[in-house]
Amino acid sequence: MAAGGGGHSPIEQFALTTFASFKPFGIDASITNSTVFMVAAVGLICAFLYYSMNNASLIPGRMQSLAEMTYEFVAGTVRDNLDDSHEGRKFLPFVFALFAFVLVCNVLGMIPGFFTVTSHIVITAALALLVIATVLVYGFARHGFGFLKLFVPSGVPLWLLPILVPIEIISFVSRPVSLSVRLFANMLAGHIALKIFAGFVGTLLAAGVWSALSPLPLALTTALTALELLVAFLQAYVFAVLTCVYLSDAVHGAH
Amino acid sequence: MSNDDKTGHPAADALSAAERAALSKRASALGDQLDAAKLRRSAPGRSDSSQGNAMARGLKISAELIGGVVVGGGLGWLLDKSLNTFPLMFILFFLLGSAAGILNIVRQAQREVTPPAPSVKDDEDDDK
Repeated sequence: MAAGGGGHSPIEQFALTTFASFKPFGIDASITNSTVFMVAAVGLICAFLYYSMNNASLIPGRMQSLAEMTYEFVAGTVRDNLDDSHEGRKFLPFVFALFAFVLVCNVLGMIPGFFTVTSHIVITAALALLVIATVLVYGFARHGFGFLKLFVPSGVPLWLLPILVPIEIISFVSRPVSLSVRLFANMLAGHIALKIFAGFVGTLLAAGVWSALSPLPLALTTALTALELLVAFLQAYVFAVLTCVYLSDAVHGAH
Repeated sequence: MSNDDKTGHPAADALSAAERAALSKRASALGDQLDAAKLRRSAPGRSDSSQGNAMARGLKISAELIGGVVVGGGLGWLLDKSLNTFPLMFILFFLLGSAAGILNIVRQAQREVTPPAPSVKDDEDDDK
C-alpha cells in the first residue's frame, strides 16, 4: 500500500502516539493524541455553548440560533424516540452530551491530519457500555425485577419460551456491540477509503503517461469527503436515536 | 374552471371566456414547467444524500446482524470453556445468536417503516 504520495499506509492515521506517559497504579492513563482530541472536542462544545448563549437575547444572533437549533434537534429526537413526558426529558442532557461529543469527534476527524477519536472501538465501546449501563440501572430502579419482563415476549406459547428468552437476552446483549461496532466501523472504513483514493493520486502522478488519469481519484476523493461529512453527522444522529430507543425500554419497561 | 372563480367574482366577470381559458392554460403550463424544474433540481441532490443514507442504513443493519452473531458465538464459547463441552454450546448459541441478529434487523426495519412522529425534518427522518 506504499502510495506514491508520502508512502503512508492507509491505517497509519489511526496510530496512537503518546505525548506524556502517565501510569498511576499500573493503569495506563498516558496523554495520547486521542486524549488531546477528546479534550479538544469537549472544550469546543463547551466553548461553543458558553459563548453562543453568554449574552443570549430574545432575538438570537447567528451563534445563538445555531446552539438553539442543536438543542431543538436533539430535543426533537428525544421526544420522538424516547418519551414526550417529563420522564423522557430527564435524559435529554445525557443524549445531548453523547450526540455532541460523537458529532464533534467525527467532524474534527474530517480535518486533514487530525486524529479521529471515534475510529477506535475502545472509545465507541465505552460510550455504548455507558448507554447500556444507564438503561440497566434506570430500568431496575424504575421497574424493579419487573424490568426482566423485557426478555419475555408477551403472547407466546409457553413451550417456545426456552428458545425465545435466550434469543431476547442475546439480542439485548448485542445492542452495545452493534452500537459500538457501527460507529467505529463507519469511521474506520470511511477514513481508510479516503486515504487509499488520495494515495492513488500520488501513485498515478508518478506513473508517467498514466498521470493523465490522476484527476479521477482526486475527484473521487473530493466526493468521498463530502460523503464522509454526511456519514459523520448521520452516525452521530444514529447513535443518539438508538440511545433514545434503548432508554425508552428502560422508561417504559416491557411492551 | 368553476372552482377558480371563487377568488374574485367581479374580476372574473370582467374577463371573457377565451381570455380565461388562455390564462388557465398559461398557469397550468407554468405549473408543469415548475414541476419539471423542481424534479430536475432535486434529482441529483436527492440521489446523492439518499445514497449516503442507504450506505449508512446498510452498515447499520449489518452491524445488527454482526452484533447478534458475535455475542451469541462468544457466549457459547465462554460456556464451552467453563463446562468443557467444546462444540455443543458454541453451536447452540451461535444459532441462537443468528436468530437474535435477524430479530434485531426485523425490529430495526419495523421502526424504519413506521416512524414514531414526523416532528424531525424530512431528511433526517429517512434513516432511523
